[in-house]
Parts: sequence; structure tokens; C-alpha cells
Amino acid sequence: MPAPTDVEQAVGLLLDLDLGFSPNEAMRLLKKLGRQPTLAEATLFSIMWSEHCSYKSSRSTLKALPTDGEHVVLGPGEDAGVVRIGEWGGRSWCLVMAHESHNHPSQIVPAEGAATGIGGIVRDVYCMGADVVGVMDALRFGNPDGERGVAAREIVTGVVDGIWQYGNALGVPNLGGDVAFDDSFNENCLVNVIALGLVAEDAVVRSRVPGEAAAEPYDVILVGKPTDSSGFGGATMASRALEDDEEVEQDRGAVQVPDPFLKRMLTLASARVLALAREREVPVGWKDLGAGGIACATSEMAAASGFGMQIDLALVPVAEGDLGPEVVVCSETQERYCWVVPRWFTPEVLKIYNDDFELPHIYHNARAAVIGKVTKSRRYQVDMEGERVCDMPVELITEPVREERNIAPWPAPPAQPQLPPMADLNVALTEVLASFDQCSREFVYRHYDTEVKGCAVVRSGEADAGVIAPLPGESLGLAFSVDGNPRYGRLDPYWAGALAVAEAMRNVAAVGATPWSLTDCLNYGSPEDPETFGAFAEGVRGISDAARRLWRKGSDREPVPIISGNVSFYNHSTSGKAVAPSPIVCCAGVLQDYSRCLTPRLKRAGSIIYLLGPRYGEMGGSEYMRILTGVWWAAVPQVRFEEERVRIHAAIELAGDGLLLSCHDISSGGMLVSAAEMMLANDPGQVLGMELEVGDLGAATRADLWLFCESPGFLMEVDCALAGEVEARLAGMGVRPERVGAVTHGDRLVVRHLGSAAIDLGYTDLKSGWSSAVAGAFVG
Amino acid sequence: MSRDGLDRRVAVLGFPGSNCEVETQRALLAAGVKADIVRWNESPDRLSHYGGFVLPGGFSYQDRVRAGALAAKETIVEAVTAGAEEGKPILGICNGCQILVEAGLVPGIREGDVEMALAPNHRPGGAGYYCRWVFLKHVASPGRCLLTRLLGQSEVLPIPIAHAEGRFVTSSNDLVATLRENDQVVLRYCDAHGRVSSSPDVNPNGSVDDIAGLCNPRGNVLALMPHPERAAWLRQVPEGMETLWATDRSGAAGRGQDLENEGPGRRLFEAFGWEQG
Repeated sequence: MPAPTDVEQAVGLLLDLDLGFSPNEAMRLLKKLGRQPTLAEATLFSIMWSEHCSYKSSRSTLKALPTDGEHVVLGPGEDAGVVRIGEWGGRSWCLVMAHESHNHPSQIVPAEGAATGIGGIVRDVYCMGADVVGVMDALRFGNPDGERGVAAREIVTGVVDGIWQYGNALGVPNLGGDVAFDDSFNENCLVNVIALGLVAEDAVVRSRVPGEAAAEPYDVILVGKPTDSSGFGGATMASRALEDDEEVEQDRGAVQVPDPFLKRMLTLASARVLALAREREVPVGWKDLGAGGIACATSEMAAASGFGMQIDLALVPVAEGDLGPEVVVCSETQERYCWVVPRWFTPEVLKIYNDDFELPHIYHNARAAVIGKVTKSRRYQVDMEGERVCDMPVELITEPVREERNIAPWPAPPAQPQLPPMADLNVALTEVLASFDQCSREFVYRHYDTEVKGCAVVRSGEADAGVIAPLPGESLGLAFSVDGNPRYGRLDPYWAGALAVAEAMRNVAAVGATPWSLTDCLNYGSPEDPETFGAFAEGVRGISDAARRLWRKGSDREPVPIISGNVSFYNHSTSGKAVAPSPIVCCAGVLQDYSRCLTPRLKRAGSIIYLLGPRYGEMGGSEYMRILTGVWWAAVPQVRFEEERVRIHAAIELAGDGLLLSCHDISSGGMLVSAAEMMLANDPGQVLGMELEVGDLGAATRADLWLFCESPGFLMEVDCALAGEVEARLAGMGVRPERVGAVTHGDRLVVRHLGSAAIDLGYTDLKSGWSSAVAGAFVG
Repeated sequence: MSRDGLDRRVAVLGFPGSNCEVETQRALLAAGVKADIVRWNESPDRLSHYGGFVLPGGFSYQDRVRAGALAAKETIVEAVTAGAEEGKPILGICNGCQILVEAGLVPGIREGDVEMALAPNHRPGGAGYYCRWVFLKHVASPGRCLLTRLLGQSEVLPIPIAHAEGRFVTSSNDLVATLRENDQVVLRYCDAHGRVSSSPDVNPNGSVDDIAGLCNPRGNVLALMPHPERAAWLRQVPEGMETLWATDRSGAAGRGQDLENEGPGRRLFEAFGWEQG
């Protein structure tokens, strides 16, 4: 291609390709290459420089996060984070975590979008050499009763279908998640997916060319589904606002096509290759294909260890003829991985995929195929039928790009209206429990296979966190929770970040596990909007502060590390409406003895209920105020880091010593909702009641605010005989528990205030709205 | 005739799309039964020497056509059919249950005919995949079914289901009566107190006659929708269930080794045990 002499003309040619380059980026590319790029090269850079792949706006802000620590084996940077969790059965074991968004695809085609979210995130964990032990999903949907309620409901159904259809068929249990509804998600749902894996430390595989490739020939092997044009342009689509209906129609083609069946076979065959490579001590590299397809995966593997690659696209198995080189090299076709292995080992790899597991037989043209070789030239070269379609230094592709963004303060919420009079608390509690945000999530999680693999200890709906015992015969337990409240995000982006971390940790501690590592997915509108970018920066600051100041129990003030994460910008519609700032945080916890893990279910009549955590009467974003007044209110709950950390550490210690009968976190809905949930967790055949007394009102000033404010805390059930010991232990740790009630025979929740019963409701009164009112909206 | 001692081992069949092979094998081992995972494309001749078979759960061939329909046509299923005729113990779990029905092995009244099917779940408010712990009642006569011979008569078992197509349906109304007469209905859905009912709280998928598990006329082949391998250890029982199993589980807090003890589903695997020696 002759180089145009006129720079403006060259830029114009590049912009005419409509690949999403800004004029500055077009200039930068021309300068870097020193010539006009081929279409394949331009496509490759448009993907690598997209917000989705490059983190060009967010990278410098993210540096504030604590990502390192004593046990961190691999922090953010590769496909998933890896953290050591201790020795079990004579081997050092690691937890692998990955957390991503699949928001845009799920809005456009909900079932396929959500399914490929699960499909992509499990590959990130598998390719570290780990076995995936679970997935989770954090879902944010539009208002089912709002003006776009019908669409919102369809998206709920589609997303849940996509998640179960993929995860269940793959044979990976769902360990939990959360669901929230808000008008700001009417045009942009959020689907955040998490995959969790386990791997022996000596079996971690890196996504890079091994150093041994300097001394012997290494092949590049592509395995999985034949490449097609599905998902072409996916990363670019995820890096801009969703357009009007016509363009949404076009975007459908940019959503990948999921295939859990093929993935299951790939997983089994790949596990066999990994085992063989370990057995024979063969140094290999392995990476999944995600955004940017072959181009991104192969160039990153080469660049990570200073090698080059020579790829021949004619060798890539394709599903359909006549795909241009830019499509073959950049398409995001699902269910593919890339290996780099020594040439002598190649026949073994091909045999396992193609003969032992018969990929070409069970899926048309799926297979393992050699598509190129590792070179020492440090150049990235791609050929198609004798023509060189890509040729440049490999670092050119992977070197970071950066975009400066302006920051403006998040608009303050409107002034707080006059406090309304206290509501009828029986009615208020029933309504809060039946609201979209507080009701039972059974209508979602019953579709998920929680049992496959046989490691379930505590499932969705049973407790604040899911618990598994992933190593049969060992006492190791792992607990997981994912959290983030969009109402807090709207009101205060800093506390939204800090509260997401604190709640995820609190949930993990409530089952008795020690918060060990975190991941975050940061979902916002356009980074080009200063207020939105400011909210993002505040969210990161909140997460960072909480991770540092709620340090890991048993460490010398070491932050709970954030080992992986993802930033999702452009979650806004063309009308300019952005999603509520949504930092969503997953916490993994470790239980030395899973037999000690706790649930919130009331256990024994006569036992005592303790409240840990003063009620500060912070009503901002609370369900009670929203239902009572329709107003958001102002001051959101704060995380008082000292208080919070001591409480979390106390819960872990009491649970580990077997001093608690049950434990439940207090967050959204407040302490009264938590109390009701402890009752509702029992099946109808074994109901217990509860009698509570409104305690010291303190800053809450009113009984209703005391009961419904969402200041963080715990409710704990303690056997009478252990009350003295528990109180003494807590006092020793600097926690002042408040004895707020007792568990009773019978089926009533009674709350007394100033001598009379402010609340008196039966189990069925509480359960009917909580378990069915909203579920009915999403079925049939 | 023994070959490599295979006649005292169980083959867990891995079809393309099966996904419970590993935990099923583990449950057999915990029950003292030696077991191998055998891929669908391995030698049918060698497979025929195994002393018993388990067809595990999953989504063989992606549930194309109907769940289990394609796997039932695989060559290795011929070895299972031959084993059924020889009286070997054969257990099909979930997708394995669907395969046994599609292969005509269960109910197996008219030899080789497909007389039943596993249809999409019927639940109030819609179909789709459904995963929950339920209760089963052992309704067959003692010793009627080889695989449940270690269960007590009328015993109630907590066990999880996880399927989208688990509703037994028949090609004719007379068949249900015949199955009852033949005592082939082995396990039915019931409540915590053993009361069989077609209420959706009890029968989770709308299965005809509340059937969860059916055997062939000879009693050596059991097609079972729920998953006993997910209830083979005490630790797997949800602590809040209304059953003595859950009481035992909660009582084991702080004594982790006790949680490795037998769960309600283990005896189905123990039933494969051969007299040692």
C-alpha cells in the first residue's frame, strides 16, 4: 500500500474505516507504524486501544488500589488473579478469581449476552491451569414497574436463562450473586460475572511464551470452535454508548454465540493436556481468546516474554468461507484457546483434542490446529494466502495507551425533606420485605445448579455467602459474596465503593470465613463526562480505603488485596442517561474448618439475639425511606473503618470458636429486615419466633429509623449458656454488643418499644410477600 | 469371566456433554466400589467386561432432539443393554436416567420400545431448569430393585434434583397401572414426613404418579432423576432441612471428619458392592 504523502488524507482514510478511532488516535497509529496500516492492522489497533481492552482512561486511577500482599501470587494483569490459601493435603493451594462485565451484550440479546459472559469468565480461570469451582453473577436491572417495565422483565428472564443454560451445562455450580433494580438500568442492564478456581501453586500456568522458546522451536496451536464472524467488533461495541434501535440491530452480530457443550469437551481435553505437560515437565503457555481474538491473545503471549510470532491465517479452521483477514485475526468467536508448546509436543496436543476427545466429530470443524510459530524476532507477523497482512514490532501492539480525563464533583443530592411521621411498622415491614430489592431471590437462583461437583456446603438463599468444601476430605472451606448497592452509588460514589467492600467482607465473615481477597468490577457511564469520571475515581478511592483499613485478620495490617477486576464504561444510552455509579465487589473468604460455618437461620428457642453495630439513623438510599416517601434521602451509611474491622474480626473469631448459633449481616433493609430474614430462613415445618426490644436510639433518634436504617452491623444468635463468655470476649475485642431480644417458640416476630408491641407479625404474614409477590412478576 | 478384574468394577460412562462423572466416581469409591470413568468412544468390547454401569448426569449432546436421545444411540450403550440382560446393576442419574428411558431399557416392558419420556418440568409459573433438595419415598417392595436393596421400606431420603426435563410421562394411561402392578415404581416424591403428593412443593416437576425413580421389570436397572452422588456425604445435606440427616450435620460442627460420613444417597452406590474375596 503506497503511503499517502498527505497526513490529513491518511488520517481521513483511517477514520473512514469507521473503526472507532478518534482523530488523535488515527494520528498516533500512523506515527507509530510510519505507514498506512492494512485493514487487519487497523482493526487490531481499534480493538487494543478500545477502552475495554486498553484501560486508557482508568489505568492511572486504578493504581491506587492495593493489589499486592504476602499471599498474592499473581495480581491484576493476566486473565485472572491468583492468591495462596494455604497447605492442604501436603500441597500449597491457590484461589483464582476473575470478575468481568457483560453489560452491553446482555442488553442487546440477554440470553446469549449473559451466557457468553459466563463462557468468557470461566476461560479466564481455566487458562491459569485451575479447575473452576464456581461462578457468581451480580445483576442490575431496570425498574420492572417503570415505564420500560416490560422490557426490563424480559431482560431479567433472558439473562437468568442465559446464565443457567451455560453454567449448568458446563457443570460449574453457581455460588451466589445479587440482584438490584433501578430506573437507571432501564436502558443499560449490568451483568457482572465472576469465576472462581482452585489450583495447586506448582500447577499455575502462565499466559505467555515460556523462556525455553529461545532454545527450541515452539508452535502456536489454536483449539476449539472454528473461527467465524460472530463477536467481530465486540470490544469496540463495549466501549461506546448503546445506540438507537437500528444500530442495536447491527450490534447483535457483535455478540458472540455461546456453546457450553463444546466448552465442556474443551475443558476435559485441556485438563488432559495440562496433566500431560506437568507429568513430562513440558514448559507451555496457555491463554483464552477473548476480546481481539487471535490477534490479542497471540501478541500478548509473545510480548509478555519478549518473543515474536508468525501466524498463518490460512491454517485457522473457519466455519464459513470468505472471511477477510481482519475478521479471522480479530473475531471474538467463543470457545477458543491458544497454546504455545514445544514442537515435539504438538502431536500429543493435537491427538488429545482431535482424536481422544473427537472435537471435529462432536462439533463441525472444531479442532486443535497449528496456526503459526514463536519467533525470536520480536515482530508480530501475520500472513494470509501469501500476503503479509500484519507486520510490526510486537510491543507496538501491547504498549499502554492513555487518555486524560477531566474530573468534576458528583452533584450533591437534593436537600433532605422534612422527616415524615413514623409509619405503621407492621405495614412498613411487610412492604419492605415484598419490595423488588428486598424480596427472596429464589425466582433467580432456583434455576442455577448449586449442587454439581458435589462440594456445596451453604447454597444461595441459605446464608450471606455461599460456601463450598472444594477439596474432598480436607477441612478447607471457601466462602464468597458479591455486593454493591446502586442507591448508594447515586447518592455518594465514595461510600458506594467503601460500602461494597465492607458488605462483601461482612457477608463472608457472617458465615465465619476470613476475608482473603477481593475483585472489583466498576460499572459507570462515559469517562468523557467529568462528573461520571469523578464518580469512578471516588469509587476507586472508597474501595481502596476500605480494602486497606479493613485489613486481613491475622496479618500485620495487610490490606485485603484486590487481585483482579474490570472497568466497564459507556453504560449510558444516547439520551445521555447513565447507570447509577456501580462499583461491584466480590470477596473470597477462607474457613480453616468448614464444619464451623454459620447460617442466619434461627436455631433454638430461648437463645439470645445480639446486635453488633450502633444504629446511626443514616437513611440515605434506604428501602424504608424510598417506600415511605419516594425520596432518596441524603446521608448514606458510612463505613466507620475501626468499628467495622473490629466487628468483622470479632465475628470470625466467635464463629471459629463455635460460640455462635447463627449470624446475619445488616445492610440493605436495616436490622429489622435482617431479623425477619433470620426467621424466614426456616422452612415452614420448623419455624421459630423472635421477640425484640428497640434499644438505645442514639443517633437514630426514632424507633423506625433505628429499626430500618442501614448502618452496617451483625445480628448474632447465642445460646444462653454462652452469653457471658460471648459478652466478655466481645468486650475484650472492643465491641459493645447490645442484647436486643430472644428466640421464641411459636411463629411471631414481635418488636416492643416503650412497653407496647410496635410490630407483631406471623411467619406467613412475613413470608407471603417476601417469597411470592415479585417472583410472580417474572414468570409465565 | 474376569478380565483385569473389571467384573468387580463399575464403569461411569462419560458421554460428550456429561458433567457429573467425577463426583459420581468419587461417590462410588466412598461406598467401597471401585470405579473408572470410561469415555463414550473407548472400546465397547472392554466396557462389556465391567460388572456394572452408572450413566451420570449432564447434558449429553447438548440435549439435542430430546435429552438423552442421541447418547442412547451410541455404540457403547449396546454394552449397557447387554449388561442389563445379564442382570448387571445399572444406575442412570438425571441425564443418565433420560438416556436409559430413551434407550428403551426403562421401563422395558415391551423389549426395545421407548414407552416413556422425560418431558419439560411443569411448575406453576413456567418451566425451565429447577434445582432444589426434595424428599423421596422408597415405595418398592424390599429387594424389588437391586440398586435400592439397602434402603428400608417406605424410607424417606432427602436428595437434590437439578433438571429442566424431569417429568416422567407415558405413551399410554394403562402404563402407569402396569408399572404399579409390576412394582417398578421405586421412588416417589414426598414431603418431609413421607406423604406422597402431586403438589408442586412436593413433586417438583409434575411427574406422572409423582415418579422420581423407575426400575426395569428385572429390577437391576434404575432410572433416577434426582442426584444421589450429591447426597452421598453428610456435609452435602443442607443444614436447614427438616430431616434427621440435617440434625446430624448441624451436630457435627467442629468435628469436620464426621461430615465425611455417609449421606442419604450413599447406599445406592453401596448396592453395587460385590462380595469381596
